[in-house]
Amino acid sequence: MADSEPANQKPAGRTALISVGRIWTIAASTFTQLVRMKTFYFLLAFAVLLVAAGNLNILFSAVEQLSMIKKVSFGTMDLFAWLFAIVATALLIPRDLEDRTLYTILSKPVLRIEYLLGKLIGVLVVILLSLVTMFVIFSALLHIRTIDFLHTEVAILEQAGRSQEMIQAEAEAIIAQGLRKEMWVALWAIFLKSAVVASVTIFLSTIASSSLFTIIISTIIFLVGHASQMMIDFWKDQFVDNIVVKMLAGLFRIIVPDYQIFSFYEGIILGEKVLPHLVWSMTGMSLFYVGVFLLLGLLVFFDKEF
Amino acid sequence: MRAILEKYPRWIPIVAVILVFGLIRTPIEKSLRSQLIETHLLQPPPARTTLGALKQSSLMGMLGGLRSMVAVYLTLKAYEHFGVMEWDEVESTYDLITSLEPREEFHWVHRIWHRGINAVASVEVNDDLTPAERQRRFDLYSTQAIEIGEAALEQLPNSVKIREQMAEVYREKLRDYCGAAKMYGEMKDLPGAMQYSTRFYGYFLAKCPGNEQKAYDHLYGLYVETMSNLDRKGERGFVDHRAPTLIITLKELEEKLDIPISQRIPDPHPDEGLKRRNRPTGRLPGGVGIP
Amino acid sequence: MSVPAVEVTNLTKVFPVSLRKEYVVAVDNLSFQVNAGEVYGLIGPNGSGKSTSMKVVLGLMAPTEGETRIFGVSSRDVRARNDIGFLPENPYFYKHLSGAETLKFYGKLCGMRGRDLKDRIGELLELVGLEHAKDRRLGGYSKGMLQRIGLAQALIQRPRLVILDEPTAGVDPVGSRQIRDLILKLKEDGISVFLCSHLLEQVQEVCDEVGIIFEGRMRREGKLEDLVSIGNQTSLVLENASSELVDKIERLIETEGDGAELVEKGNPRTTLERMFIRIASSEKQEKEEN
Repeated sequence: MADSEPANQKPAGRTALISVGRIWTIAASTFTQLVRMKTFYFLLAFAVLLVAAGNLNILFSAVEQLSMIKKVSFGTMDLFAWLFAIVATALLIPRDLEDRTLYTILSKPVLRIEYLLGKLIGVLVVILLSLVTMFVIFSALLHIRTIDFLHTEVAILEQAGRSQEMIQAEAEAIIAQGLRKEMWVALWAIFLKSAVVASVTIFLSTIASSSLFTIIISTIIFLVGHASQMMIDFWKDQFVDNIVVKMLAGLFRIIVPDYQIFSFYEGIILGEKVLPHLVWSMTGMSLFYVGVFLLLGLLVFFDKEF
Repeated sequence: MRAILEKYPRWIPIVAVILVFGLIRTPIEKSLRSQLIETHLLQPPPARTTLGALKQSSLMGMLGGLRSMVAVYLTLKAYEHFGVMEWDEVESTYDLITSLEPREEFHWVHRIWHRGINAVASVEVNDDLTPAERQRRFDLYSTQAIEIGEAALEQLPNSVKIREQMAEVYREKLRDYCGAAKMYGEMKDLPGAMQYSTRFYGYFLAKCPGNEQKAYDHLYGLYVETMSNLDRKGERGFVDHRAPTLIITLKELEEKLDIPISQRIPDPHPDEGLKRRNRPTGRLPGGVGIP
Repeated sequence: MSVPAVEVTNLTKVFPVSLRKEYVVAVDNLSFQVNAGEVYGLIGPNGSGKSTSMKVVLGLMAPTEGETRIFGVSSRDVRARNDIGFLPENPYFYKHLSGAETLKFYGKLCGMRGRDLKDRIGELLELVGLEHAKDRRLGGYSKGMLQRIGLAQALIQRPRLVILDEPTAGVDPVGSRQIRDLILKLKEDGISVFLCSHLLEQVQEVCDEVGIIFEGRMRREGKLEDLVSIGNQTSLVLENASSELVDKIERLIETEGDGAELVEKGNPRTTLERMFIRIASSEKQEKEEN
């Protein structure tokens, strides 16, 4: 019996458990794909924007100018992260299907969850690396501008014969606008938001028939998810004691993710303190989101027919 | 597992997961949201009036979690209005800015400064207006500035700079010295307050009718404190309160309150204090608050 | 008897059409098997259900009824795919990867690493004749080159079974010849091949066994030579026969034929195509009569 079979065979009984190696292989290929799609040119644009924002030749105070650099930088990072999370995630799977690359991948011993996870991780690694790069560019610029302002402001105040106390206060105000360790937490917050957005998008792309559909729906959910709290408050305010409205608002809250809470980086760059346990909670919440939406995606994808 | 799933339409488990997840996360998110708002990391949703006032583009930005970007944009916009002295536009833009970022101190300071100092000053010199209209706008703008300041202090109760700016409006425009004294009085005990604020408190209290005794006690206290610490002169923490205005004000109050000669402070030594330093006018616009 | 490479048992696949309760039966109670070491061709026109059957075998689709097995393992088990190399019709791979990177990617998906993978990539590039283009991105490959890198990709983990969907569709005659030679080489190495095609000529050159599928049902199946023979006809193929000998045979049929008749005389030609058309047209007739 065995002699009729080819010599170079191996047993067909290899493990069916999830393999980190395969996930990583798909993630790495996704990463390469996105990088070779010239994604990182965006970083160049970011650097230009930052230098422009950092040199706005307007008569604003040092504190304000530094604050503007921070807001423009983090705002751009946030915009990049969630937009990229939606667009890249929405494009990747339909594209694989269209090119029939998906057939060749899934006809290898690859679990569908491995494929989904690999794609998601690939996108997230690109986002994380881009964010870190942007942060480094930003930090350098902010640091240079802070030192710069510190010197000129102190010189101006000294020349004007201001008291040491006042010079000290102004210097402290400028330094307070400079780099802080907490900014890494702000960066992490932006990343968390994009991870949640990407996982919601990946779920949508498993049911959607086109990338465009996925992108539009995902963006709508994103926007509604930011406004959900406002909407609920508004309804409750308008229809006090209306049981139907109350129930509808409750249902709305259950279905629509609350994206707003992931915008807590804005407080950090305004200089508010961060409690570590909140960062952990938000990280846990994000993981919960990613896990659930991957599960939802898998529910659709695991026996999806191509 | 597969067998069970294949029995039913797929939307059933999907909807079930979404609902269960929603039920689990809603209370957690609610608590996280209130914690984040409590620690000021997250701003509470803006009031509905603001929502109505926001232009569509700004609204999108805010919804997209880009409040600060919108705030930066509006700041530049406000600066443009300021450049052509469109005071009502400056104020309405700052109204939006401060509701987007209610915890950003300098927005409030600017808003008070624009309304209470710049707009008022421009009305004062506007010859196109009738005297009655000039007066009406003067009153309106300066009162509005104070109201803005009060709203600002609700957001940032410990702010020195907001009080400083309000004090300037009281002092320079409203000539309400009791109001100015109140501001300096609150300021002097706050962290980050300049040393002069405690003296300014006394100066303006002295000009607030009926508070002369209180002003005298306060300023005399400062004088005595300085005198008793003279041996520590030059050390860290030593504050020389014997500014020319303090001496002059004390002298005036001694007269007014009929303080017995024996308790009056000596005339200033020609070398001490009374030399006036050459003070430049504050840099405009905005910038560091210069008293 | 060894475990068959592919075993399809009573496979039925029904697709719903739109939201109304309408269905299309793509594959109807199909059964066949590909024995280990054999080249099997599933032939049928477009839309006959070949691709659907193939996708079920690959686990890309679930059967409505029946089941498919690869070397005894259900197609729905991911482990079954350890033994499969698949080349889709007109394959496109990631355009951003080079030839070598493509093979590396698929090798890694199969759990291959290091030296083993590197050697295998070299081996396969040589086999399909793409060593010179291994560092070029696939975006710049011709159709024939893509087909070859696709075949190499299918073979990366040394599968025991190779599944080819229309392997020569759209490939020029030279490329087509190369692929045919590769299939024969695979057979020599003891690898089972399951291919789908509507190009009959190629199939008959390489297949040991052929199944003819039409409208989702297996119409004929068997050894190629058996299939092309017609039940009540017998063909004699002679080599180096003199015309005298042929005349003699013809006379013999006339005199002692007992009703037998000479239908055709000449050099052998493909009859597969003719038969195929016959099946299709008789089916059509039957339908019209009903």
